[in-house]
Amino acid sequence: MEVHDRQIAPAQGGSSGGVISLRPLQLSDVDDFMVWATDPDVARFCRWEPYTSRDDALAYIAGTVLPHPYHRAICLDGRPVGVVAMERNEVASNACRGELGYVLGSGYWGRGIMTEAVRLAVAEVFGGARPELERVEAVVDVENKASQKVLEKAGFRREGVMKKYFVLKGKTRDAVMFSRLATDDDS
Amino acid sequence: MEGVDLSAVSLRPFRISDADDFLSFAGDDQVTRFMRWNTLASREEALATIRDVCMPHPWRRAVCVGDRCVGFVSIWPGSGDDRCRADIGYGVAREWWGKGVATRALRMTLSQVFGDLPDVLRIQAFVGADNKASQRVLEKAGFTRDGLLRKYAYLKGTLQDLYLYSFLSTDVVPAAAD
Repeated sequence: MEVHDRQIAPAQGGSSGGVISLRPLQLSDVDDFMVWATDPDVARFCRWEPYTSRDDALAYIAGTVLPHPYHRAICLDGRPVGVVAMERNEVASNACRGELGYVLGSGYWGRGIMTEAVRLAVAEVFGGARPELERVEAVVDVENKASQKVLEKAGFRREGVMKKYFVLKGKTRDAVMFSRLATDDDS
Repeated sequence: MEGVDLSAVSLRPFRISDADDFLSFAGDDQVTRFMRWNTLASREEALATIRDVCMPHPWRRAVCVGDRCVGFVSIWPGSGDDRCRADIGYGVAREWWGKGVATRALRMTLSQVFGDLPDVLRIQAFVGADNKASQRVLEKAGFTRDGLLRKYAYLKGTLQDLYLYSFLSTDVVPAAAD
């Protein structure tokens, strides 16, 4: 395995071939956004259909991304190649938990980039970006094995399988619940 | 175990005239302890809850023994992409605990609710890790334990580990074998 120049921060992904970092996504990132947002392989397990219009992408960034409680572009050598986000529950009794979501351009799959991005995001939210969070959880389609592996490698615990949990693009799906707590030890 | 003739257990919509019976269990801290409800403090609150919450509810039933309301079962369906699942909640007056009433009420609910709410394919219950009695009720009613959700929610200010149980529209309601 090649050894790349090390930096203290942002983090280094060993086999990723570059420096992985997180930063807010901007309107000016729309063309990079369109690379993964138009890809049906990326959209397969997502609630959304592939984007077909740059204007739709700009509206999404302006309306959903910019005001979001925690939303970050995953950057490889400074260039957005995906996103990671943590939802917020408005009901006070549920505010201790946030649901994690993420996508990565299919050209970057299989290189450990998403695992590193998830680690960085979890460290940020538990480190002060979302001080109310005790629990980060992820709900993953039972067939999305790659995403389950990301979470396992990022130190999440598999809590169980929930049958007929949600509807995705018209079909009822079984899902796996994963979680990582603010108090979990690094794995 | 002291017997109740469980064939006397029935489910029906709430009525304004249930207010006193409703207050006697919804006003009991021991019953509301594991519930999100705040304990009711007056007949006026009971009337208001029946009128404003129970009666317009998507699916809430009074659990009756004979003609007396001794508890409730609520089903809260999701919407949008979550419309295939619904959360169940229930409570029974303390003097009716340990007699199979809650289990019977849940079995009756499971036999009816999927017909009433055709989008719902999954009913799920969140139960405190220390609420053994309620876990037993769910297991006897045929629910499957999906797993333990760690530090999932606050209940009255305390962060809770909750078991998640589920029952699918394709599951079989156990026959009354009490």
